[in-house]
Amino acid sequence: MRIQKALTSVALGAAVSLLALTTALASPYDKYKGTTLVVNFPAHPHYDAVAKVLPDFTKETGIKVEVDKLQYMRMHDKQVLEMSKPQGDYDLISYVIMWKTEYVAKNLLSPLAPFFVNAALADPDYDPEDILKAYIEPVGIVGGKKGYLTGVTGALYGVPFGSETSVLGYRKDIFAKHNLKVPETYDEMMDLVCKFKDLEPGMSGLTSRGAAGHQVGHAWLLHLNPLGGTVFDDHWKPVYDSPEGIKAAQYLKKILDCGPEGGTAFGFDEMKNAFLQGKAAMYLDSVSVAGEAENPEKSKIVGKIGWAPHPKGKVKASQTGGFGIAIPANSKNKEAAFLLLQWLTSKATDKKIALAGGSPSRMSTYLDPELQKKFPYYPMFAEAFKAAAYDWRPLIAEWGELNAPTLGVALSEAMTGKKTIEQAFADIKPRVVEIMTKAGYYSWSK
Amino acid sequence: MPTTADQTTLHVPQGPALGDAPSRPRPHTGRRARRGKRLLNRSTPYLFLLPALAFMGVGLLYPVCRSVWLSFQDWKLGMAPESAVFSGWENYLSLLRDPNVYTSTGVTLTFAFTVVVLEVLLGVALALLLERPIRGMSLFRTVFILPMMVAPVVVGLIWRFMYSEQFGILNKIAKAVGIGGVPWLSSQEMALTSVIIADVWQWTPFIFILAMAALQSLPASAIEAARVDGANTWQTIWHVKLPLMMPVIIIATLLRLIDAFKVLEVIYIMTDGGPGLSTEILSLHIYKTAFVSQQLGRASALSNLLLLIVLALSVALFVFSKARERQARKVAM
Repeated sequence: MRIQKALTSVALGAAVSLLALTTALASPYDKYKGTTLVVNFPAHPHYDAVAKVLPDFTKETGIKVEVDKLQYMRMHDKQVLEMSKPQGDYDLISYVIMWKTEYVAKNLLSPLAPFFVNAALADPDYDPEDILKAYIEPVGIVGGKKGYLTGVTGALYGVPFGSETSVLGYRKDIFAKHNLKVPETYDEMMDLVCKFKDLEPGMSGLTSRGAAGHQVGHAWLLHLNPLGGTVFDDHWKPVYDSPEGIKAAQYLKKILDCGPEGGTAFGFDEMKNAFLQGKAAMYLDSVSVAGEAENPEKSKIVGKIGWAPHPKGKVKASQTGGFGIAIPANSKNKEAAFLLLQWLTSKATDKKIALAGGSPSRMSTYLDPELQKKFPYYPMFAEAFKAAAYDWRPLIAEWGELNAPTLGVALSEAMTGKKTIEQAFADIKPRVVEIMTKAGYYSWSK
Repeated sequence: MPTTADQTTLHVPQGPALGDAPSRPRPHTGRRARRGKRLLNRSTPYLFLLPALAFMGVGLLYPVCRSVWLSFQDWKLGMAPESAVFSGWENYLSLLRDPNVYTSTGVTLTFAFTVVVLEVLLGVALALLLERPIRGMSLFRTVFILPMMVAPVVVGLIWRFMYSEQFGILNKIAKAVGIGGVPWLSSQEMALTSVIIADVWQWTPFIFILAMAALQSLPASAIEAARVDGANTWQTIWHVKLPLMMPVIIIATLLRLIDAFKVLEVIYIMTDGGPGLSTEILSLHIYKTAFVSQQLGRASALSNLLLLIVLALSVALFVFSKARERQARKVAM
């Protein structure tokens, strides 16, 4: 009798613990099995790598993912329209860093805290501290200092995914052939940019973006920061036309004049291809090109590239930018979308994407011995993040208006010689002041 | 068109009116009933027109009215519609203060008039050239029409690749011939020309088709008469064919002109308005104001200005063609 009782209690205990175990082991994804998520991703090297990894998510979780892929500057219109509907089609979007404040100002994004406090959703091994500070702060946080930097009033709205900083790529073979020193400062680099035309027929110096609008503005910012300039001062007074701003534009003009033909019409893709097709000796832009540069299908310069930090001007200040992913406030499947966001930016997936040619977002990926063996430039890149400028451009909600249609036009006119730099900058001053006044930046100044 | 309107009014009394009563006597029809019936008869055509009018009202008038209303509001894209604030004439005044709007208007006028003049000259010339029966002509005709069939976005991409200074076919040819690289899309001076070339390539066939149709429907007697009078080919073209084709050419020109003012996709893809503002036509500027700067009110104000320009041009061309017609009629009498 006693034995029977004991046996029963053991069996009962075993059943209870088994039940508890199965409940604990039930995948957090089970609840969302069969859901289809619609995501909006850009046509971009990082996201090409993501496309190779994405089927694993569906295999692991049973959640299907439909990708709406667009040219990256064209995503903005569609996202704004989609996200301002009562219920939108997108469950997860990839946004360019410069749209984050505007989206938050318009209440278009879900804050991420409610998901991270939900134990059923948040993975305890996610390790957000491992995500590069130079990425998560400028890309993900809105509402802190100046409205777009970290600070106690800030909150997390997105996670970096395909974010970038700038590095210098150079042709090892050409530099060795002519016994050239890899530039560490702006003076050294500017000294080199016009030399290649004579040294190597058919080759130009430094490839650069230059197309009117966002592209030429981006190229100018790349030089403005190291030279110590800013677009606004701390009281939102426009100072883009300071001596540093003008010097940055002069440097850019020289770079474009000695760069690949047609540079004043180059967007990111044309700029990148000129380097990958062997038409330029140097590249100074996003790290995102590194994967493609070693892919023989896309690059003619495999094995010939050396990488170095963004040269130092007055200061060391490499770019912070690229993409982040966020959940639209009007998504129908926010929780499943969060699971996808978390999966994509997890340690394991970050490594997988890196192996497929994408740009990592985590320090652990850059320090991974296996990856460092495959990508010898990883330790250098990891180092480059220390020099990243968090306040690289004013990521205010009005940046869209200031950037492409205003600064981007003035710079393009200066680069193509229609106006002098000083004239072009002066001509847009009234418009810049008008935009800032209308937005209320000067209403608090006494 | 008034001519067709005249014809309609002429024709209507001839045919039996809708719902007309048969002519046999009706003893019980009073005067009032008859009047009611007449009213009904008269209003029947309008009743039938009503669905079409309602459709036009909703589809055509509503957007225009809405755009006029919006042009007096300050409203940002992505914000709730309730957040729109009435701002009076501010949108219009700020446009008039903006030098970029003047530049953009200049670019639009240059672009539209240049492409239309080139397309009309080329289209008509081609039609006159290909009118004569030459072997394989039908093949030529088909080939000439092809560009018009291609989607504008594809046209933009094709030309962008061809114009590429690094890898484009045009510069490869230019370099092989010894001209050297041409900065097709990267210089302020060339970009507009390059865009014009692409548009002429795409839309000359439109004029060509219409001119061809006009040529084929010309009265053979007139051409015969000219030949009997001893006119040579050139004289026949200049004094007989072209004047007779004129109504068609004018309509085709008008259609192309209106279209040229609204062109967007090809330029958007090829240059996105750059370098500087050298190819930023008004429709692209409107698009950017609405979707990049996100000022819907300002964009509406600008599109209303564009509407006024196109309307003024259409009226001017219409009046001009009317005057010509009247003159031609006088000469004929």
